[in-house]
Amino acid sequence: MAQKGKPKSGEKTVIKGTCLSSFGDNSNVACVDVKDDKILRIRPLHYDWKYKPEEFNPWQYKARGKTFVPPLKSPVPPFGIAYKKRIQSPNRILYPLKRVDWDPKGERNPQNRGTSKYVRISWDEALDTVAGEIKRVVKKYGPEGVCLQAEGHGESKVVNAAHGCSTYLMKLLGGYTQQIRNPDSWEGWYWGAKHVWGNEPVGLNMEFSSNLYNDVAQNTEMIIAQGCDPETTPWGFGGGCLPSLMCYWYTELGIKQIYICPDLNYGAAVHADKWIPILPNTDVALQLAVAYQWIINGAYDKPYVKTHVVGFDKFSDYVLGKEDGVPKTPKWASAKCGVPSRIIKALAKEWAGKRTTVAHGYGGPYIRGPYSSEPARMEICLLGMQGLGKPGCNQLTFVEGTMLGAYTRMRAGKGQAMGMLTPTSIIRPMVNAAYRGYIPFMWKQESMIPKTMLHDVIESGKYDIYGSSDQMDPVEDQFKHYTYPLKGKKEIHMLWTDTPCFTTCWNDGNAFHRAMRNDKIEFILVQHPWLENDSIFADIILPSNTKFEEEDIGADHWPVQYNCVYLEEKAIEPRGETMSDYEIVEAIADKLGLKEKYNEGKTIQQWIKAGFDGSHMEEAGLCTWKQIQEKKYYVVPTDPNWEKIPAGMIEFYNDPEKCPMSTPSGKLEFYSERLAKNFPNDMERPPVPHWVEKSEFHDERISSERTKDYPLLVISNHPRWRVHAQLDDVTWFHEIVTGKVRGPDGYLYEPIWMHPKDAEKRSIKNGDIVNVSNERGEVLCGAYITERIMPGVIYIDHGARYDPIVPGKIDRGGAINTICPHNVTSKNCAGMVTSGFLAEAQLADMDGLRRKYPEAFNRPYDKASGLKMERVLYKGEK
Amino acid sequence: MKALVIDINKCNGCYNCQVACKDEHVGNDWTPIAKPQPDTGHFWMKVTDVVQGSVPKVRVRYMHDMCQHCDDAPCIPACKATAIYKRPDGIVIIDPEKCTGAKQCLDACPYGVIYFNNDLNISQKCSMCAHLLDKGWKEPRCVDACPTGALTFGEEADLKDLIAKAEVLHPEYKAEPRVYYIGLLNKYFIAGAVYDPEADECLEGATVTLTNTKSKKKATLKTDGFGDFWFERQEPGKYSLVIEKTGYLSRKVEAIDCAKDLNLGDFEMSKKVG
Repeated sequence: MAQKGKPKSGEKTVIKGTCLSSFGDNSNVACVDVKDDKILRIRPLHYDWKYKPEEFNPWQYKARGKTFVPPLKSPVPPFGIAYKKRIQSPNRILYPLKRVDWDPKGERNPQNRGTSKYVRISWDEALDTVAGEIKRVVKKYGPEGVCLQAEGHGESKVVNAAHGCSTYLMKLLGGYTQQIRNPDSWEGWYWGAKHVWGNEPVGLNMEFSSNLYNDVAQNTEMIIAQGCDPETTPWGFGGGCLPSLMCYWYTELGIKQIYICPDLNYGAAVHADKWIPILPNTDVALQLAVAYQWIINGAYDKPYVKTHVVGFDKFSDYVLGKEDGVPKTPKWASAKCGVPSRIIKALAKEWAGKRTTVAHGYGGPYIRGPYSSEPARMEICLLGMQGLGKPGCNQLTFVEGTMLGAYTRMRAGKGQAMGMLTPTSIIRPMVNAAYRGYIPFMWKQESMIPKTMLHDVIESGKYDIYGSSDQMDPVEDQFKHYTYPLKGKKEIHMLWTDTPCFTTCWNDGNAFHRAMRNDKIEFILVQHPWLENDSIFADIILPSNTKFEEEDIGADHWPVQYNCVYLEEKAIEPRGETMSDYEIVEAIADKLGLKEKYNEGKTIQQWIKAGFDGSHMEEAGLCTWKQIQEKKYYVVPTDPNWEKIPAGMIEFYNDPEKCPMSTPSGKLEFYSERLAKNFPNDMERPPVPHWVEKSEFHDERISSERTKDYPLLVISNHPRWRVHAQLDDVTWFHEIVTGKVRGPDGYLYEPIWMHPKDAEKRSIKNGDIVNVSNERGEVLCGAYITERIMPGVIYIDHGARYDPIVPGKIDRGGAINTICPHNVTSKNCAGMVTSGFLAEAQLADMDGLRRKYPEAFNRPYDKASGLKMERVLYKGEK
Repeated sequence: MKALVIDINKCNGCYNCQVACKDEHVGNDWTPIAKPQPDTGHFWMKVTDVVQGSVPKVRVRYMHDMCQHCDDAPCIPACKATAIYKRPDGIVIIDPEKCTGAKQCLDACPYGVIYFNNDLNISQKCSMCAHLLDKGWKEPRCVDACPTGALTFGEEADLKDLIAKAEVLHPEYKAEPRVYYIGLLNKYFIAGAVYDPEADECLEGATVTLTNTKSKKKATLKTDGFGDFWFERQEPGKYSLVIEKTGYLSRKVEAIDCAKDLNLGDFEMSKKVG
């Protein structure tokens, strides 16, 4: 007989957004079938499950005699489908942990961070210790003594925000020092393109991408995907696999798709009509040569340039060599970028002759290298030379399209009214009224440290820079002067992170490892569901849970077939002793006597209701609170007038005086007066976009002396089978040929793509363990020998889990960012450089490593999923 | 009778089908249709990256191997325990409770799509998610999870337009599969590029003629703006190629052996003298 009070056995279906962006946004809505506290399956939501299609006004595109009918199910990528494995990962942290040799009342042993083990403690002990340390640090150093790493990607949750619940508590204690999130996926756009065309806040076209999918279908003859992979970067964010469908449709419509990238990326692999392999981070050379061809042949839109562009003469002087004596001919470019000059000429001709849209999707090898400001600026100049904004001639972004532009408008008080990349819904459902996490532009602390410089700043205790590097800051911020520590304030002495992935996702992870051992940092608190990456530096680890173990609300307002609002019921009970991030911070607040202030007197259910009310669905007569409680989701109808919203930059194209860009002149600034005035001596980002061979900041070209030791150029993309550091423990992705390479020793190595010619030179065979090295350290990878990468280039996705053999020096996990350049993008651009750098790759001496570091090879390891939480548990050893 | 059509030309390689199969069957017991699949090592829907060509003319296509649910399935008579049966809807099931682990089916299946579960001592394979179909689902998990429409499942009669464009895998096995393929990897591209080294230009509009040595069948096309030519979906075999352009000496390439996608490389063309 069933026991009384126990939940009735039986199946239920709950709804969860499986987008891994965080930031309170959500997408990739899925149905989760659950039985008796067990997840049976995760599958796409069929929008018409509880609604008739006519209730949400289905849309379609018609172009060139063909019709595109979007599927009636959410385009969930494999991340959502496989997420069960993430919840059940043997690397989940199930109870609070304390570093065994860290004593808050005695020796803190910071020098052992990264190697010493952990003991299980009770929640009570953990919370008392954490509250005590916060109080102590705030009293001794002021609230600025606490640095919050409280941003970044993760599960998209609203009330139970994965990142930044801590900010609400620290504000109650007088503030904190904020780790500033740089635009890690769009560095060049932010630091470069914004100076040409504004287009806040990203610099990649988001303010003006309404209806661009349709504009391309109607008007475009050629798409150039430069460092863009529509089959990878959109997956973990919004819209999932919809960009894939668009690319297939564009092929059907006869739109040529040209991919320019060192690797035959996953988009190029199936959609490219032409792949132009280019050496990493040399795109600006090719672009300059394209401009050269257009200028000498008069093959550009001269009337447009006259009315829409400023500084064309100075730009033209540089291109033609009048500025520096070097004409940027295709031959000149070819020696830099490895693309034959005849191909550059052909590309210039094709581009000038066809209505061309350039497509992007974040990440990629194009926008995260040294001086990434330059190719990004240069691209806008090229687009400008061909009448940017003309039907069919725009810049299209497959990820987010219009989303962040909408935030900019909100911040400027212009409301959210604008279209979407896809046909817009009547109202964009946003439930941010319930969001309890970090929002980049909402409250910036005066005391701040750019994330790209965190390791430096801990070690040196200072910085003196221009630009905060906040990914959402308007371009004006790049001219602001910042120093640290603030006058009369102290340095940071405590680190509280809910984003422990610096080592594998940011610049020079090995330097970060060293900084974590600095005795200035008296306390490191990690709050996370998995024992990954920077977690091994923690003094206390608090276990948070996944969204499947929580109740929440969500809204999909990304460019997807249909926008939705939904109630996320709890699917399963929390694993182990885990709590949601919101609850963990609430429990700490309670210890500090601040619980009521922290939760503002609301329960989680009340926050959910507030979120729904904030979506204005009921006010607009679309969906009542009662209805959403009953049906659990609501599909917002498509705006019947979606087609009337101007596509792309057509308004600027038609009338630049009436609809100016947000640059000082309102036009496209090929020459930036503002850069000239503020940074007259900046040779890395001069007023006109330049090719920079090398500088005091970087020396990562094939012309470098360093190539004697490090002859290969590394590219590191946003990963195909992860979202940055997320999902590296999913056994089902490890079985995919490009997922992991199982070494002869059974360990799952991160794949390194290498051309057969380079492999042969080094006697490396498919499946071999390869040691990738440069001055900053060594990383072991598994060889994937393939024609999908050009000779001279190796490719390793970033975000693999850090598994140090020698902490700060040799990594077995494949965390390639441990050896990427230390310096920021350039002198006045505090961005990160994680692609386009020199290294060597040789067969690894595994016997030697094993002999020298036996401990590193004897850690508890799950053959299918990889690292296990047990590896850090203290078993009484010295 | 049910059928599944796999359109390889529409597969973006997301592996949703392979992963959804695992999500459905790993750790879930759907007896009498199927017992749990091991966490790794089984691929009841197996995707394989097929990378062919050479830099810069390379393509990836994704092959899908799975139980073909044959109408004349060799596994059925091979099983001495009579654990394998065909349902009225055409789906072939290995009864997990009758299976004795004798592995005769593994030897009998010409497609190599049956796996052995050592822990349970049974043979396992794609069940077309019959446990879901019986509950009213219209499609198996792999099809439901496919975002691009590369997989289509349904009544064979309703799919006849698609099936008309499709072929079966290894018809020579005469097993009468119920899984159909469009764009099967048995025809290949032959590609290359043409340029004028002296002018340092790609040659657009050159006429390229490809001749199958055996059948003498000819295909002709003009090079594009990059001087590229791509002959799509050519039968395997020997070919010769002629490149012609007014004002240039013609070039002939003999003994082209097409057994997979071929990038013949870049061809220099010299101007005729006089």
